[in-house]
Amino acid sequence: MTVHEVQHEHAPAPRATGLRRLLVPGWLRIFWVTPLFFGLGLGLPVLIRWLAHWDPVWKGSVLVSVELVTTPLGFLVGLGGFDYWVRYASGRPTLPEDHSGHGAHSWRDYFRINTDHKVIGIQYVVTTIFFFCVGGLLAMLFRAELAQPGDQFFNPQTFNVLVSNHAALMIFLFIIPAFAGLGNYVIPLMLGAADMAFPRLNALSFWLLPIAGLMLIVGMVTPGGGPSAGWTCYAPLCSHQPLGQVFFNMGVQWAGASSIMTALNFLVTIITMRAPGMTFWRMPLLVWANFTTSLLVVIATPFIAGSQFFVMLDRVLHTNFFEAGGGGYVLGYQHIFWFYSHPAVYIMMLPGFGIISEVISVMSRKPIFGYRLMALSLMAILVLGFSVWAHHMFVAGMAGWLRVPMMVTSMVIAVPTGIKIFSWLATMWEGRIHFTTPMLFALGFLSMFVIGGLSGIYLASVPIDIHASDTYFIVAHIHYVLFGGSVFTIFAGIYYWFPKMTGRMYDERLGKLHFWLTFIGFNLTFFPMHFIGLQGMPRRVADYADRFADVNLFISIASFGLGASTLVFLFNMVRSWAHGAPAPGNPWRALTLEWQVSSPPPVFNFDEIPQVVGNPYEYGVPGAKHAIFGAPTPAPVPAD
Amino acid sequence: MSTAAEAHEHGPFEHHGPPPIHYSSRVSPSVLGMFLFIASEIMLFGSFFTVYFFDRVVNHGVGGQWPPDGFHRPVFVAGINTLILVTSSGTMHWADTSIKRGNRAGMQAGLVLTLCLGLTFLLTQVIEYHRIGFNTSNSSFAATFFGLTGLHGAHVFVGLTILLAMTIRAFRGHFSPEHHHGVEIGGIYWHFVDVMWIVVYVTVYII
Repeated sequence: MTVHEVQHEHAPAPRATGLRRLLVPGWLRIFWVTPLFFGLGLGLPVLIRWLAHWDPVWKGSVLVSVELVTTPLGFLVGLGGFDYWVRYASGRPTLPEDHSGHGAHSWRDYFRINTDHKVIGIQYVVTTIFFFCVGGLLAMLFRAELAQPGDQFFNPQTFNVLVSNHAALMIFLFIIPAFAGLGNYVIPLMLGAADMAFPRLNALSFWLLPIAGLMLIVGMVTPGGGPSAGWTCYAPLCSHQPLGQVFFNMGVQWAGASSIMTALNFLVTIITMRAPGMTFWRMPLLVWANFTTSLLVVIATPFIAGSQFFVMLDRVLHTNFFEAGGGGYVLGYQHIFWFYSHPAVYIMMLPGFGIISEVISVMSRKPIFGYRLMALSLMAILVLGFSVWAHHMFVAGMAGWLRVPMMVTSMVIAVPTGIKIFSWLATMWEGRIHFTTPMLFALGFLSMFVIGGLSGIYLASVPIDIHASDTYFIVAHIHYVLFGGSVFTIFAGIYYWFPKMTGRMYDERLGKLHFWLTFIGFNLTFFPMHFIGLQGMPRRVADYADRFADVNLFISIASFGLGASTLVFLFNMVRSWAHGAPAPGNPWRALTLEWQVSSPPPVFNFDEIPQVVGNPYEYGVPGAKHAIFGAPTPAPVPAD
Repeated sequence: MSTAAEAHEHGPFEHHGPPPIHYSSRVSPSVLGMFLFIASEIMLFGSFFTVYFFDRVVNHGVGGQWPPDGFHRPVFVAGINTLILVTSSGTMHWADTSIKRGNRAGMQAGLVLTLCLGLTFLLTQVIEYHRIGFNTSNSSFAATFFGLTGLHGAHVFVGLTILLAMTIRAFRGHFSPEHHHGVEIGGIYWHFVDVMWIVVYVTVYII
C-alpha cells in the first residue's frame, strides 16, 4: 500500500456498540480471548498425550511450558496485535491506515496497541522504570538479609531467588528495553522520518515486554519455589530447579523475541528511512550506536534463545543436551550462553555511549571530537565483542588453550572503548560546559565507567580472574559498568529528552539532588565491595564470615540510601509531567533533528521531510547547519 | 505530495497524514527485514549446531560413538524427503517468476504445488519420528537429532503458514506483476527453509 492511497481515508472507524464491542481490539476482547487460548493450551497437550497413550496424561511441566506460549498469545490476539496480519492472510482487503493508532489523547491510549513510535517509546520507558523499581526492591530485600551474618529474613533458597530475579529483571526488563524505548522515541525523529519502518511490528514488540516481566515475577512465587540458579541459569543446575524456572526460561524468551523484533525494526528504519541528505556519516552518534547494537541483537540474541530452549527441553522432554549421564556436554551451555551474554553487555552499553555523545557535545557547545572514529570504534566493539565470551569461563574447566587468546581479545576491546572515553574528554576540553542534570549524569557515567572498565581489564587477565572469580569483586565490577555505566546513561537520556517527550521541563533542582544522592549512594554501596571481594567474600551466598560484618552493614545502609534516591527521581518525573513549565521546542539549543520540531512533536513528526545539509554536531561553528526545512524535496522513490 | 499542500491549507495543527515517505535505500524495507530475520534464524540454527558439535566432537559422542550402538538413522527416507523439499523450492520459484510475468494461473499452480510438497515433507517427518525407535530422552544423540530436525520442522510449519496465506490471497485475486511482495517474501523464507534443510540433512544424517 502506498502513501498516496491512504491519504484520503481519514475518517476513523465508527464506534462499535452492544456485543460487537467484544470483537473490537482492546481489553474487553482480552478478557475472553485469553481464557480461550488458556483452554487451548490446556486441551491440546492433554488431547495429544491421550491419543498417543502417553502416561501421565496430565503433566505439570509440559502444560506450564505450553501455557506460557499460548496464554500470552491469547492476550496479544485480544489486544489486537495480529489483526492486520490476520486480515491480510485471509485475503480480505486490509483496512486502510486511518492513523487513529497514532498519537495519544488520554492515558488510556497507552494501554492499547498504538503504532506511533513516540507513544511506544513512552510505553517502553515507563514500563521499564516500573521493572527497575521492582528489581531495586528485590535488591533492598536481600541487602537487608546481608546486613548481618547468619539467617535473618530469608532462607538461602529464597535469597537465591531474590538475587537471580534482581539480575534478570534489571538486565532483560530494564536496561536493554529502556534503551530500546529511548531509541524508539528518538531515532525516527533524528532521521527525519515520520515513523519506524514497521509500526505494527513495533507495537507488538513492546507488548511482549510486560508479558516477559510478569512471567519473571510470577516465577518467583510459583508453588514449589522460584528459580534460584542465578540469571545465568547454568545447566545442569537450572534443569533441576523447581517449576518457577520454566517461567524464568520462557520470560527470557519473550524478552529476547521483543528485543530481536525491535532491533530488526531499528536496522530497517536506519537503512531505508533516512531523510534526503542524511548519509551514514551525517547520522547522530545515538543512531550509530543503535545501529551497531541492533546488529549485535540480531546476531547474538538467538543464542540465548537456543540456550534457554536446551535447558527447558532437558527439563520438560528429558533430553540430554547438557546431562553428562546421557552423553551431554555440560560446558556447552556456558559457551552458548556467554556467546550471547558477552555481546549482551555491549547491547547494554553501546546505546548509552550514543546518549552520552549527544549530551556531552550539546552541553559543552562543541563538535564531537573524532566523529568518524567514534562511529568506527562502535563497529570495532561490535566485531571484537564476539571474540571474548570465554573470559567468563576461566575457572569453569574449559579447554586450557582458549584462555590466553580470550584474555588478549578481552584486553584489546579496551582500545576502542578508550578511544571513546578520550574523545568525550577532548569534546569537553575548553568547551562551555553547562552543568545540567543530563550533563551531570554524563560526567558521572564517564568517571564511574572508567573505574568499572579498569577493574574489567584486571579481571580479563587470567591469574587475577582465578583469584577474584565469584567474589564481591565481580559484583563491584558489574555494578560499576551496569549501574555507573548503563543506568547513569539511561538517567541522562531520560532527563535530556524529558522536555521533548512530555512537552514540559523537569525540575532542575530535584534533578541535581537525584544525581548527587545516586552518585554518592552508588559509590558508598559498591566501592567497598572491591575490598571484601578481594578478601574472599563469595557472591550469591546468603551467609558470610563474621569478619565481613561491619563492611556489609555499611553497604546495606548505603544501599537503602541509594534506593531512596530513586524516590526523588520518581517524584520529579511525575510532578514535572503533570505540572512542569511548558518546554520550548529546543531547550538545549541542539542541532539534531528531534529538537527542530515542537515539544512534544507533531503526530507525524514533520510537516515536511527536512533536507539534511551538514553534520549534526557543529556547535560553535559559525553558519553551520544540520538540516533545512522548506527546501524543494525530491520526488519520493517508490517502495517496490 | 498533496499532504504538504493540505497542511498549509489547514494550518500547522491539523495533520491529515504523514508527509510522503522518503526511502533512502533501493532495497524495499520488507525484503530487507526478511533478510535480517533470516540472519537471526541462521544464528538460532547456529546455536543448535553448536550444541550438536559440542556433544558429538568435543564430548566424543556417546560412549565414544556417534551414532551410539542401536541407533539407526533413516538416511534413505530422509533423502527422498530432501528431494521433495528441493523440488518445492523449484515450484516456489515458478510461482514467483510467473506472477512477475503476469501469469496468474502459473502463480496459483506453483503455490499449491509448493504447499502440497511442503505438507508431504512434514507428514513424512512425523511418521519418521513415530517409527524411528528412540525417544528424546535416549542420550545426547537423540537430543540433538530431535533438536535439529524438530527446529527445522517448526520452520517448515511457519513457512507453510506463510505460503497458505499467500495461496489464499492468490486465489482471491491479489498480487499483480507490480505488487507481488507477499509471494516474493514468502518465497525468500521458503528457500531459506530449504537450504537450511540441506545443511541439517548432511550434518545429522550423512556425516
